[in-house]
This record gives sequence, structure tokens and C-alpha cells, in this order.
Amino acid sequence: MIRLIHVSKSFDGGRSYAVKDLSFQVNDGEILVLLGSSGCGKTTTLKMVNRLIEPTEGIIEVNGKNVMEQAPVALRRRIGYVFQGIGLFPHMTIEKNVALIPSLMGWPLQKIQERVRELLELVDLPPEDYAKRFPDELSGGQQQRVGLARALAADPAYLLMDEPLGALDALTRDILQQKLLDIKKQLKKTIIFVTHDIFEALLIGDRIAILHKGHLQQIGTKEEVLSAPATEFVHDLFAKPARQLADFKDIL
Amino acid sequence: MSLESLTTYIVNRLPELWLRTGEHIMLTGFSTGTAILIGIPLGIIIFRNAWLRAPVMAVIGILQTIPSLAMLVFLLALLQKIGALPALIALTLYALLPIVRNTLTGLKGVSPQVIEAATGIGMTKYQRLKLVRIPLAASVIIAGIRTAAVVGVGIATLSAFIGAGGLGQFINRGLALYDTKLILLGAVPTALLALIVDFSIGAFEWGFRPERKKDKKGLVKSLVRPLALMMPLLLIMTAGILSYFTRPLSGIQTEAVSKTSTRTIRIATKNFTEQLILGEIMAQLIEARTDLFVERYFNLGGTMICHNALVHGQIDLYAEYIGTGLTVILKYPVISDPEEALSQVREAYKKRFNARWLKPFGFNNTYAITVRTADAKSYGWTRISDIQKAAPRLRAGFTAEFTERPDGYPGLRQIYGLRFGEIRDLDPAIMYEAVSKGEVDVICAFVTDGRIAAYNLKSLEDDRQFFPPYHAAPVIRGEILEEHKKLRDVLALLEGLLDNATMQSLNFKVDGKGYSPAQVAGAFLKSQGLL
Ligand SMILES: Nc1ncnc2c1ncn2[C@@H]1O[C@H](COP(=O)(O)OP(=O)(O)OP(=O)(O)O)[C@@H](O)[C@H]1O
Ligand SMILES: [Mg+2]
Repeated sequence: MIRLIHVSKSFDGGRSYAVKDLSFQVNDGEILVLLGSSGCGKTTTLKMVNRLIEPTEGIIEVNGKNVMEQAPVALRRRIGYVFQGIGLFPHMTIEKNVALIPSLMGWPLQKIQERVRELLELVDLPPEDYAKRFPDELSGGQQQRVGLARALAADPAYLLMDEPLGALDALTRDILQQKLLDIKKQLKKTIIFVTHDIFEALLIGDRIAILHKGHLQQIGTKEEVLSAPATEFVHDLFAKPARQLADFKDIL
Repeated sequence: MSLESLTTYIVNRLPELWLRTGEHIMLTGFSTGTAILIGIPLGIIIFRNAWLRAPVMAVIGILQTIPSLAMLVFLLALLQKIGALPALIALTLYALLPIVRNTLTGLKGVSPQVIEAATGIGMTKYQRLKLVRIPLAASVIIAGIRTAAVVGVGIATLSAFIGAGGLGQFINRGLALYDTKLILLGAVPTALLALIVDFSIGAFEWGFRPERKKDKKGLVKSLVRPLALMMPLLLIMTAGILSYFTRPLSGIQTEAVSKTSTRTIRIATKNFTEQLILGEIMAQLIEARTDLFVERYFNLGGTMICHNALVHGQIDLYAEYIGTGLTVILKYPVISDPEEALSQVREAYKKRFNARWLKPFGFNNTYAITVRTADAKSYGWTRISDIQKAAPRLRAGFTAEFTERPDGYPGLRQIYGLRFGEIRDLDPAIMYEAVSKGEVDVICAFVTDGRIAAYNLKSLEDDRQFFPPYHAAPVIRGEILEEHKKLRDVLALLEGLLDNATMQSLNFKVDGKGYSPAQVAGAFLKSQGLL
């Protein structure tokens, strides 16, 4: 379980807030989607969960314990992180990138190799072709998939995913979305999934949290946010795509 | 020079050329290696402790600005030792800057996104440094090492001044003898070596880069990479082998032998023609008349270097001038009576340095204020006092030593009231040509230099007896003289044998006619029936 209690973050000593008074909870085995437009504080929120950023105020709990009281390295190894900027290691092959954390954790070599193979197949990058390549020999979308495989490598109970499918075409994206749902179902992962794609949010999220300028607007199931938008912002957020979808149907 | 004689010139010197090349690579290799071992950790430390960056970089930067020769002489004074050690320390200090700076730049230059990812997936600080930062900075760090090594090859030529060997030995000797061929024999291989070092580290850098899947084809290709990685090592090994096997061939005894054998006498000279001839005369005489083995430490970079080496037992014997011992070493006031001056230095050297002045060779190689004969005629100059009025209009060319020594220009100013319009520091080797071509008007010639006559110059009379006597004599360590009593008698054979005219003609055979000091010394000893 991940829990945020009145969490705020200011980068400029309190003059402005990237995240303000944020409280929510992600239950075990649940996918919470963080939805919001650019600059609303999604990445900041994720980074506070694994201590890449420290909150200015408030408490964050992972597994029932305040993260600030947990050893950062151990905490981070229990939380898989897919970075918005991908951040693969350019001097390591794809295989080594994915294998890094398991090998630092002392897994046996055999098990690591199997794991890498399995994950590369999962993200649709056949190991025979891709294992020995370097990141700069891959397309942006392929790199993003390696980032996903790396986050899953050590089989963490928690996943923080910052627009993990942003650079993918609709088709590949659809395949990976389905796979993610499978993973979640089979392995009972607890996931925070950041996106600004409304359809993706509706498809993947057990619940959706809508952020605007650092403030939480509403949190709830898709039915709740669609049928009873709590603020004007939430209403507008869904109204526009709905209109576009209607227009699209008309054309067809 | 014809192609054929050029070939024989080189072939004759090939064994020594290999030896010096080997020494040169060793000097550069060891100093760069030490600088890597110190510089990379230092770069990492200052990367992690930002407050240390400015002071550390400032210190290393200042070290870099010290002129190489000054650094060598300073280390010499500090360590009281000639040879490889001060040279290695100096070279290491110079190599430090590019290595530390590139290490710091490389570590700082790693993309923050990559570092954030490394932190975010749960790497410790140490793992980030070892597995991410250093590998990503490697090519920048290696570029720093490459710069250090290539620059090091150049600076290492100066090590010869303090008896550390290397290709600078040829350059040094060439400068002392004003012999362009010798200078090139040192300079051309040095330049080639710099290119080879540059290439071998470049190859290493290439071999070090992660191997890409598409690169890998065939057996040959898969051997090229390890070979490239080993290039710098191969170069150093070649050097080791070269100097090991060519040492006996080139007739230069190893230092190890000299330490274990008491049957060796180490003779040194300063870096000008007369010294080289005197050194050879003493060496060949000792070789012929005793069963001692002579080791030559020729061309050391000046009086203080020879003296310190003698005092600290690194050499046993060299020829010194009474006036120099008196004023430069002992810092006594000038004494013009030769007998009196000799007995003063004798006594003081015995007491203070346990060194003995033996019987002088005869000639008095004093300084002579020297002008063009044509000028002397047209202005009626015969004595130093005569030029006092004209001095402000004259340009003087003095050796750097003369400008500073109490028995040089400072004393001359006082005694004769001379105020030259301009003073230029000139190397003794080019001083004579410079005055004859009119680039300067007055020089501080050495009386025994054959070029005074050859260039049609006129030495002015020291009418106020300012210059102390500069009779040269062998100066030897007391312990060696005790051990090999025969040496006193052998060297006494040379007493008074070389008057000013003789020394002048011997010097001219080397400077003017192009014979080697060894040839001239041998011929002289034969003509005296001593060989
Ligand atoms: N290190 C930082 N220093 C100062 N300001 C920052 C820093 N990181 C983020 N911010 C600011 O905090 C706010 C929220 O940024 P954040 O990266 O969380 O946005 P986001 O919701 O992830 O946006 P996007 O969808 O564009 O990725 C922005 O206004 C941003 O400028
Ligand atoms: Mg973001």
C-alpha cells in the first residue's frame, strides 16, 4: 500500500508549490492513474514516493512505513520505476541494462539470464535481436519498452510508471496496455501510472486521480469521475474528448 | 652531408639511440603511470567534495606553470640527488593537470538523467560511480592521459640535464657542442615517439570502447581489439627490452653494477665543450692506467648540479675551476692570486665536503670581456676600462650564469662602472657567433675558447684584476681517493700539461672542426705519450 498524507512540495522555499496538500491511497494490487496536464506535478509526486525528491510537508508511507524512515537504496529496489526520460545506461547493452539491479542484488547468473529473456519477450523485443544492442541502436519506443523491462526486472511489489507508453504507436501501445493488465492481475502489483492520455487512464486505471496545478481535483473509479465530476476542471477534461469522439463517429 | 655518411652516422649511433629511446619511454611511461594512479583518484575525490576543487586545481595549475628546467633544478636541490628520481617526480607533476582535470570534467559531464535513473532504480553512491559515472567518463579521462603522455615525451628531453638519460641526452650534447646533427638525432626520434605514444593510447581508447554487435566479424577482427588495448603496454615492454639489451652494446654501464662494484669511478662534466674534453682526458687516462671501470655522467646541467652530485656521492670526479669553487660554491670574496685562491678552496673543500682539489691542468679559463677586433681597432679599445664610456651604447651578450655570478657582471659593474645599454642572455654555444655577426657587441668569452680566434674577436685586458683565477683542476671525493690511492698519481700526470694555447686548440678541434671530444682527448693523450 502507498499512502500520501497532506503532502506538499515547493522547489522555491514556499513561494510556489509543485504539489500542494496531496492525500490519497493506493491499495495493494491496484492501479492508480495520475492524470493531469503538463506541469501539474505528476512526476514530482512519483519521485517523492521513492525519495528521489523529499516532500516539503506531509508524510508518504510505503508498505505502512514512512519512506523517510526507510533506507533509500532498499526502498528503491522494492519499487520499480519507469522514467519519463527513459534514462537507460548508454554504455551497457540492453541485456545489461535489464540485468543490472538483479545482479546488484546478487541473483544467481542463471536466474538473471532467464529473467532478462522473459522480460525482453514480454515487451516484444526478441532477445536474439536486441539483447546485445546498445540503447542508441534502438528507436525511442523500443527504448521505452526496455525501460519498462528494467523496472520489472527485480520483480518489485510496487511500480511507479511515468508515461511509460508515451512514445508508442496506438497498436503497440494497446498490446502493452493489455500485457500490463495481465501482469497486474497475475502478480498483484501495486502501481501508480502517470499519463495525460484520457483513454489510457480510463482503460488501465482501477481508480483515477486528477491533478491540476499541484492540487488534487478528484479521485475515484472511472464511473465516479465521469458521472460526477467534482470540479469544473474535471468536467472539461472529459467533456472535450467525448465531443471529439462523437464527431469521429459521425465521420465514420 | 651525403646520404651515405648520414646513414653511417646514424648506424654508428644506433645502439645508443635504442638505449636512449628505451630510457625515454621508461621515463614517460613511469611518470604517466604514477600520474594516473594519483590523478584519477584525486579527480574522483575533488568531484565528490566540491569545496576541494578550486584549491586542488589551483595548486596543480600552478605546478604546470613552473618552467620545466626550474622545476628540475628545484627538485634536485630538494632531493639532493641527480638522475631519474627528480626527473620522474617533475614529469609526474606535469602529467597531473590534464589527468585530474579530465577526470573531473568527465565525471561532471555524465547526463543527470542517467544519474537520476541510476539512483532511482536503487544503486548506491559507490555503485553509481563505479558502474555509471566512471565508465561514461572513461573516454574523456583517457583523452587526458593521452595529452599528459604526449606532452611528457617532450618534457622528458630535459631530464638529460640532471643525468636521467633519455633522448634529451643527444639534444643536450648537441647543444653543448653546437652540433645540429646530434640535436636532430635527439629531436627527430622524440617527435616520432610522441606520435607513436599518441597513436598507442588512441588505439587503447578505441579498444576500450564497448563493442557493438555490428562490429563483430571474423577472427582477425576479434583479435584487433585486445591488441589495441595492449598497445601502451607493448610500448613500455619494448622500451624495457630495448634498454636492457642495448645497454651492454652501447658501452654504458648500468647503475646497478656501479652500486655493487667498488671498481668503478664515476666521472661527470658540465655541459660545454672544454668540460667534455677534460672529462674524456681524465676518463681515458684512468682507463689506460688503472683497472678501474669508468662510468661517464657527462653533460650535467651546470656547476651546482655537478657539485651537489659530488657531495652526495653520486659522482666521484669532475673538473672544476678555482674561481668557480671560490665564489659560486664557497661564496668567498674574490681573490686574484692563484696560489692563495687554490689553497683556500682546497682547505674549505676538504673540511666541508670531504673533497680534494688535485693538481691544476695548467690553463686559466678566465672570463674575457670580448669584442669584435674591427671595433677594438677603430675605437682604440685594449682594456676593459676603455669601453666604460661607450658601454651605454653597447649591447652585451652574457651567459645566464655570468649575469648572476658575483665574479661576473655584478662585480664588473662595481669595479669598472660598466653600464651596458642592453643585456641579453645567450647560450655559451652561440655567444661567439652572435658577436661576430653583430647581434651583440660585447660578450663574456671564455679565454680558452677556440672561437675567439676563429671568429676574429679581441679579448680586452682585465686591467683592474677583477676576475679571479679560473685554473681548472680535478675535484674528487675523499673516499674514492682513499680507496684508490693510485688515482692521485695518475691524475697528477696531467698537471700543467694543458696551457691556454693547448686548451684553446683542443676546444677548437671540437667546436670548429667537428671532432668528438673523445677523439680529441685520445689524440692529445697519445701525443703526450700517455696512452
Ligand atoms: N527540480 C525542480 N526544480 C524546480 N522546479 C521544478 C523541479 N522539478 C519540477 N519542477 C516544477 O514543478 C512543477 C511540476 O513538475 P512535474 O515534473 O512534476 O510536472 P509533470 O506533471 O510531470 O509534467 P509533464 O506531464 O510535463 O511531465 C513544474 O512547474 C516544474 O516546473
Ligand atoms: Mg512528468
